Amino acid sequence: MASPTPDSSRHEEFVSLYVRHEPAIFSFVLGMVRNTADAEDVVQRASLTMWRCLDQYEVGTNFRNWALQVAKNAALNHLTKVRRDRHVFSENLVELLAEQAEDRAENLDARRRALDSCVEKLPPTDHKMVVSCYAEGATIRSFAEQAGETANKIYKRLNRVRGQLQKCIERQLGLEEEAAQ
Amino acid sequence: MIDEALQDWIEKSLNETTTEVESRALEERLLEDEQARDYYLNAVNLHASLRRRFAAEAESPTVVSFSAETETRRKHVPGIGLAVTACMALIVGVFALLMSSSQPIAEITQVVGAYRDSGAAYSAGELVKRGPLKISRGLVRLDFLNGARVTIEGPAEIEVVNEMHVVLHRGVVTATIPESAVGFVVDTSAAHVVDLGTSFGVSVSDDGQTDVCVFDGEVEVSSSETAPRLLREGQAIRASEHSKMIDSAPFETSRFEKAWPINSGVLQTTGSIRFVSPGPSFHPGNYKDNEHIVVFPERRGFVPKEAIRVDMVDPGQYAKSRYREKPTLLTEQRLTSYLLQLNAYPSGKNPNRRRSVRGQITFAKPIVGVITDDRLLKESEAAFRIPNVKYPSARTIEPRPEGDLRHGFDTVILAADRRTLLIELQENPGHLDQVRVLVEAE
Repeated sequence: MASPTPDSSRHEEFVSLYVRHEPAIFSFVLGMVRNTADAEDVVQRASLTMWRCLDQYEVGTNFRNWALQVAKNAALNHLTKVRRDRHVFSENLVELLAEQAEDRAENLDARRRALDSCVEKLPPTDHKMVVSCYAEGATIRSFAEQAGETANKIYKRLNRVRGQLQKCIERQLGLEEEAAQ
Repeated sequence: MIDEALQDWIEKSLNETTTEVESRALEERLLEDEQARDYYLNAVNLHASLRRRFAAEAESPTVVSFSAETETRRKHVPGIGLAVTACMALIVGVFALLMSSSQPIAEITQVVGAYRDSGAAYSAGELVKRGPLKISRGLVRLDFLNGARVTIEGPAEIEVVNEMHVVLHRGVVTATIPESAVGFVVDTSAAHVVDLGTSFGVSVSDDGQTDVCVFDGEVEVSSSETAPRLLREGQAIRASEHSKMIDSAPFETSRFEKAWPINSGVLQTTGSIRFVSPGPSFHPGNYKDNEHIVVFPERRGFVPKEAIRVDMVDPGQYAKSRYREKPTLLTEQRLTSYLLQLNAYPSGKNPNRRRSVRGQITFAKPIVGVITDDRLLKESEAAFRIPNVKYPSARTIEPRPEGDLRHGFDTVILAADRRTLLIELQENPGHLDQVRVLVEAE
């Protein structure tokens, strides 16, 4: 009986490709399902599918595009399931977002890289808040309680800090572009 | 234009505090405005990156010491070295994440009438984390991240320890272990079964007796009192909880008849269709059975290199057609093939007696083609590199000609779900009926 799974060197290659693109996949999925816990589940499921269907991916072609296709299908499946209970993005919008995210994949990668230095530039109190709010299992509510603030206030601060980070990223990318010219 | 309303909806979406109305408003806006989508994608991208960057820090809140450590490492390790170290750490990290207790390590991919003790049904697509799994009845197939496939038949109690190790307390499991998961372990109270790249079945009865059957390849079996013993395909052992001894047993696969087909992509067989686990030195021609249409798994997950002529591709009933009218499969998709056969032998008081044998078989994946014509069977055997078997006579299915109302014809129907085949074959001693079914690979 033929072995149904590819050999181990392909698995190693898969792991390294997957690790490299996992942040892009997670971001892609989160934009569609809009709930962190659900997005983690969908990404997990998609990674199982990728692993299982690895021989459908042709070496040398764009792994990210293939992975994003698998992830999109997993996200659509998830949305179909939860659509009965609450409003979620329509298939139409998911397709539009997917198309745009794929077109801008390089740009989104560059933005993620730029974020690293921008986070380091945050004032210590803001930095601490971002770390606490984004730690696994942390909720803004629990952080607000700890800090003795209302959740609403923390939301506002977080929105402001994200705005600052976004501006910092734009600046950084602008500088890179200038340097390239 | 990025206005305040849009900004507000997006922020709420990130904070997961949107109301139903706001959610619909955001959707409407994103549908019609490309620029708004760009803005949204940037916001989500930032949000997701922060999540990934800081998620791991829940257990080590001392951020300062963490970055201090990376600083010192950076000083000692030159550029490429750092990249390699970071990459290795990342790979290990990702696997640790995948293996940690809160993360699912397997997915339920097939379910046949399976229920929990609570009465709630299992459904395909559920993720399985480490821990106990109870199945009060029915069948569940788990696909592990490493490629191991385990089908459990209830009533069963099993504990998923990690993706290389399960403990079977009660019930029947069959496992198909690819190269990527060699070393997979099934433990019972009486035996320790280590896979060496194979398909096998393990059952534990209510009185604690363990049975192991190897369908393909090799496993190693030991108990707390005995040295490891190699078991090859076509071999079986029995071990008891009390004596801790391992004894050879006849190769009896009926116990695994329900679970094993599911490992092989067959969801259900009813009537007189029987799935056969090929033993050693097996070929279809020497398998005779008067009572059953038997099913053999053939090639799994292969891509045919040439176009293949088949007798049927669409739902409906098989009727005779000319060779040049046969549909051609031009497929680059991966296929799995199965052979269904009725090979009756003359027997008993009335060797000329004619009966019909019928049943139905449902595959996990859609059927892409059915082959019954002798010439097409031969062509496909060559194309699929199926070991050549010399059959004494042509293999023929005789469908009822249109308008002929007499008894005694063969019927093959591909159901509208494209997964089910209904078959009725006339027993005809000395003549061999075969149907090759091509199914999308799992």
